Amino acid sequence: MIRKRLTTRLWILILAAAFIALSAAALALRHAAPQHAVAVVYLDGERLRAIDLSEEAATWQFTVEQDGMTNRIEVRPGGIRIAEANCPDQTCVRQGWLEGGVTPIVCLPHRLVIRPESDTGEAPLDAVAG
Amino acid sequence: MKRSLAILLTLLALFSAAHAESCRTFFAMDTVMTLRAEEASDDLLADCEAEVLRLEALLSATDPDSEISRLNRTGKAVLSRDTFGLLQFARDMGKRTGGALDVTLYPVVRAWGFTTGQTRVPGEAELELLLQRVDYRQITLHADGTAQLPEGVMVDLGSIAKGYASDAIADRLRQAGVQSALIDLGGNLYCLGTKADGSDWRVGIRSPLGDGHCAALSVQNCAVVTSGNYERSFTAADGTRYGHIFDPGTGCPVEGDLLSATVIGQEGALCDALSTALFVMGSTRATEYLACQSEVEAILLCEDGRILASAGLRETLRPMGEFEAWEIQWIEAE
Amino acid sequence: MQIQRLTRNALLTGLALIIFSIEAALPALSPVPGIKLGLSNIITVYAMFAIGPRDALAILCARILLSAFVTGNVSALMYSAAGGALCYLIMLLLRRILSSKQVWIASVIGAAFHNLGQILVAVAITRTVGLLAYLPVLLASGMIAGLFTGLCGQMLASRLKGPL
Repeated sequence: MIRKRLTTRLWILILAAAFIALSAAALALRHAAPQHAVAVVYLDGERLRAIDLSEEAATWQFTVEQDGMTNRIEVRPGGIRIAEANCPDQTCVRQGWLEGGVTPIVCLPHRLVIRPESDTGEAPLDAVAG
Repeated sequence: MKRSLAILLTLLALFSAAHAESCRTFFAMDTVMTLRAEEASDDLLADCEAEVLRLEALLSATDPDSEISRLNRTGKAVLSRDTFGLLQFARDMGKRTGGALDVTLYPVVRAWGFTTGQTRVPGEAELELLLQRVDYRQITLHADGTAQLPEGVMVDLGSIAKGYASDAIADRLRQAGVQSALIDLGGNLYCLGTKADGSDWRVGIRSPLGDGHCAALSVQNCAVVTSGNYERSFTAADGTRYGHIFDPGTGCPVEGDLLSATVIGQEGALCDALSTALFVMGSTRATEYLACQSEVEAILLCEDGRILASAGLRETLRPMGEFEAWEIQWIEAE
Repeated sequence: MQIQRLTRNALLTGLALIIFSIEAALPALSPVPGIKLGLSNIITVYAMFAIGPRDALAILCARILLSAFVTGNVSALMYSAAGGALCYLIMLLLRRILSSKQVWIASVIGAAFHNLGQILVAVAITRTVGLLAYLPVLLASGMIAGLFTGLCGQMLASRLKGPL
């Protein structure tokens, strides 16, 4: 069976079109409006905690640890990042601040994901004491 | 499509109308009060407001026409049932808390100017003199409804009046058949029953470190009261910050290791009294106190970044924001 | 013949491993996980088109296995294995319809599939479908990397004509 070979020119056209479409999609995702004020931390696919970034008034940190694999997560008003991790590739730390959009922060070696979501899954407060 | 949408909207409107909530906001006892109640008439809430204003007129230490002012002025007075009962309660609470709650602190508080707004730092000699008059045991209550105070002793029920008022409103609403209401007397909460949908009330606790909340919990049918020196304070010329909750031992604003004390319990007055008392006691004494009682549950925020909380709150207490990083130590009842 | 083949494959595996190690030692190009040039793919592309799919598979497997030992990052093994497998399969397919002048096309598509395989494993491991948000940027960057490695591989093949 001999297939008709596509010309190189046609291949270039197809690939260029695919590349442009993918780049546009990537840009759109990257610059998606920071509408999600809630960051949810997942470890092994399990929902650890939801942090309402728009509610944050101060910068603070917490650590997620499992079997000696640690990620130090920093929260500031409107943003969240992995400040420190003992993973081999440090990619999660380099990803920097998550302030919205749709792309999560991932630490693949530790199976940790911080995802922007639209709500904390918790009921709002009815009243405040104090 | 359009028709089904219309039906849906009508159903929604009917559904929301079935849960009619009345709301009333007013100013009393030096703070903004909000009442929200399910299935309550506006008249009923107006009655509740009148009740709070009536209590304020009886209990205010700054209103010269109140029963308390009369008692402070004359040293002896026949009191209404409310005032007498609350004074009795205040004296009992003084005893139970080892003097951490002392309503006879009023002369000291007055000297600091917290009642008039013209705040100042009194001298040591002045404070020492005033402290001699501070002792809840000097309140004498006679069976005929008469209260008596020695010369120079004055009382101020401000630390328990709002809690007491929340109890009074809750009673009134319950008698009227209301099963769901949120009584917010300037941050002194009383959550009557459950929410209209039967779920628990979600209550936040104000952060003592700034805006926002430090924790949230789910409750039903109870009062939640928080005390802390972040609420009202003044800064003296030398830059020192002075809070409005006083230590009956020193006659000065509390300088303990607590940022705030929150008390959750059935009775608003008790929660109000204890939140102040626990804040005055500091973490060690407050923990001991909480361990040998079962009436209330409490949340203590310590300056060193710990949260001390009654073990009964284990299921519901959720620190929020930066406080999620704080260490929680549970206080087990002995 | 067998010895010559064995030696040649071992040599190419070693080369791939050296290229891989050098790239791993360099700072990452982008903070987005998974974006890299994948220079060792030059060898895979070369082997696939200049030698044959069976040898290419052997070299690829050996390289993936050994690179996990070199970096000590065993968890990365799953990702490279999945990426490598998908990349290999698509190149195997494309090999039948592409001429020797079009090797780079196979590499471009192969690299995109390599990243697709990696992200699918990441979704499976972290059980977070949201990671697919990275798909466009990873596919696009894979295409650029594939273009580069493909052209290198093609050049290598044309320069090294004749039995190696």
